[in-house]
Amino acid sequence: MVRIPDKASLDDRPVRAIVIVGGGSAGWIAAARIAARNAQGGGSDITVTLIESATQPTIGVGEGTWPTMRNTLAKIGLTETQFIRGSDAAFKQGARFVGWTHGTPDDAYYHPLNPPVGATEMNLSPHWVALSETRGVAGSFADCVDFQGALCDRGLAPKLITHPEYTGMANYAYHLDAGKFASLLKDHAVNRLGVRHIVGDVIDVEQAEDGDIRCLKLHGEQEVQGDLFIDASGFKAILIGGVYKVPLCERRNILFADRALAMQVPYPSADTPIVCHTVATAQDAGWIWDIGLWTRRGVGYVYSSAHTTDDEAERTLRRYVGPAANDLQARRLDLNAGHRRIFWKNNCVAVGLSAGFLEPLEASALMLIEISMDAIADRLPRTRRAMDILAKQFNETFNHHWDRVIEFLKLHYVLTQRTDTAFWRDNVERASVPDSLQERLELWRMHPPAAQDFTFAREVFSWPSYQYILHGMRYPTRYAELPTIAAERPAAERLLGRAGALRSDALRRLPDHRGLLGKIREHGLQLV
Amino acid sequence: MTKIAALDRARHAALRLRPTPDVERMRYALIGLSELTMACADFPICLAKDAHTGRFNLIALFSLEEPRNLFWLAQRWQATYLPQAAVTAPFLLDANTELGLAIDENSPRLGHEGSPLFEADGRPTAVLSEARARLQRVTSDVADAQVMVDRFAELRLIRPLTVILTRKNGTEHQIEGLYSLGSNALAALGDDVIVTLYRLGYIAAASIMRASLSQIERLRQLHNLSGTEPFTDLRVQVLEN
Repeated sequence: MVRIPDKASLDDRPVRAIVIVGGGSAGWIAAARIAARNAQGGGSDITVTLIESATQPTIGVGEGTWPTMRNTLAKIGLTETQFIRGSDAAFKQGARFVGWTHGTPDDAYYHPLNPPVGATEMNLSPHWVALSETRGVAGSFADCVDFQGALCDRGLAPKLITHPEYTGMANYAYHLDAGKFASLLKDHAVNRLGVRHIVGDVIDVEQAEDGDIRCLKLHGEQEVQGDLFIDASGFKAILIGGVYKVPLCERRNILFADRALAMQVPYPSADTPIVCHTVATAQDAGWIWDIGLWTRRGVGYVYSSAHTTDDEAERTLRRYVGPAANDLQARRLDLNAGHRRIFWKNNCVAVGLSAGFLEPLEASALMLIEISMDAIADRLPRTRRAMDILAKQFNETFNHHWDRVIEFLKLHYVLTQRTDTAFWRDNVERASVPDSLQERLELWRMHPPAAQDFTFAREVFSWPSYQYILHGMRYPTRYAELPTIAAERPAAERLLGRAGALRSDALRRLPDHRGLLGKIREHGLQLV
Repeated sequence: MTKIAALDRARHAALRLRPTPDVERMRYALIGLSELTMACADFPICLAKDAHTGRFNLIALFSLEEPRNLFWLAQRWQATYLPQAAVTAPFLLDANTELGLAIDENSPRLGHEGSPLFEADGRPTAVLSEARARLQRVTSDVADAQVMVDRFAELRLIRPLTVILTRKNGTEHQIEGLYSLGSNALAALGDDVIVTLYRLGYIAAASIMRASLSQIERLRQLHNLSGTEPFTDLRVQVLEN
């Protein structure tokens, strides 16, 4: 017979045992972040256990990161040198969108990771508009307000071998091998951070009367008890979907892509330059990602099955890769744009693909895992009662974040002027555009995107990102008429001059991307 | 620009070596582990990153500004100690050559004056055997220092060194790229590690490196005596933690 504790002691129950289900990037990031933050230094009563399926392979397509990954790795206690060597990582300085506006051969723009110069002092967007419209100043917005596109054009790295770990001359993120990354995290979490690792499949879940998960039953009669469960079980969503039946809120009406074909393309020779940004090339029914790792490229076509066939998509991908694709297999993935409306239910929170999926257009998958873990690990609920309040906050915050990410991805499609295929025509249909995005687009004809357009202190995509896309896709605006421009002009011109000076300095000093990666693999980076 | 070539008895038969080392514009020199105790009598001993590898080197600092050497005065070396790596030029070790040496053909030390490199019959002179011996000594000594510095880096003891000089008009000049060891980090080392480092001589070396930072003030004084715009104030700080 089970003895039921009285209500007061239940409410005060401390949260000690954290159990994570899933051994992919999400699970290991979660385990390492919680253990590094909450289970070090001897005095902690927190235990972290990760259950990795013996049978479910990881998806392993999340190969682009945000600059946030530098903080995440540092918090976990991995050095940048360990990370670069261990996950075949390369630097990423932004994305180049090819063919999204007109589909003509010269149609391309950068979304760099650097903010515009002086972003904390002035909004340069209307000044660029005024300069290009009234004074005929040539050059894209990104090249005018920042220097990172020039680095990408020349294949230069964002830092020098003498820069300490996780710092550089330009803002940067990474491209990585997701399988190797998960192994690296596993090794670090288990051997350095004391995470308990169990290999096994969950076959049953025991719940308390209030619905909380009490323990997971694995094959072989093993039971794992816990106070907080993190569902990082991928598309299977064993707990959030399987146990709690939280439905997936589909967003395919906004983002049409539902399939991906991925290919790993070797470099033709050991000294082939490694591209230092993501290349996203628009196609008839979607777009192709192309990222450079140390050992190979990762290339894939994300497409809408309503707008093309699988065979046609594969032909498109092979045409893009060229003769190098002849001996290569393409791996197909079924995707489903959407997310939970409730991420944290009872004592279970979904992180990673179990929480939702969006096409990798702005590499948001790993970033959403990281910011989820910032919220969970940095304020790990101390008691069961605190958990309900933190869960409520989490659900509100992450509904907001997913909505914003979806709108930002849709922005890339809705600004197109392409009418050549049904995919592009359908993407600008009013019914497919969220109202709040439509409203902002109205405003952004007259006023440039600014911090005031967004409600959260930490927006996942901040106003400079919107400016890079709007101006990159030549969204027509009337900023040149703004009454603030004339008075600001001298200061704006000083800032634009600074961007030019920074560009000259960076181009003079920064090394070749592959060359720097080779040096880091050989000599390592210093901590200071 | 340097022009490195394998030392060749035919091509370089007529070359002579001036005895004066070419250090007038040398701002720092690598030093070997055995040189620390002598070098600290004159110079600040710091760490600086190698531009090609990013790894830390142990260096003696000769000047606050590039490119000059405050210890080279009136065509003479005005210090009690001359680091060995400063006088190895224009020779380099090169195991793939007949004589085991390469030279910088553009070095101002090479020309028609001084000691010949080769006898009239083509045999190498003592200049070359001495140069080779010195290079071998320096290389091995610097490698010993490198092992120590790598150990300091691995133990996370290295910290940025802030050196800020003030000119008469109040403007500041900050010297970038110098590092030393953190006292707090040293103090936090475990007992076992300290004993190991002590027996290797690394604790003594660390103390010398920290103490030698007061020689930066000596560089300021020499700088002000040299007739260039004086620095009226100096702040030196190791960024602990």
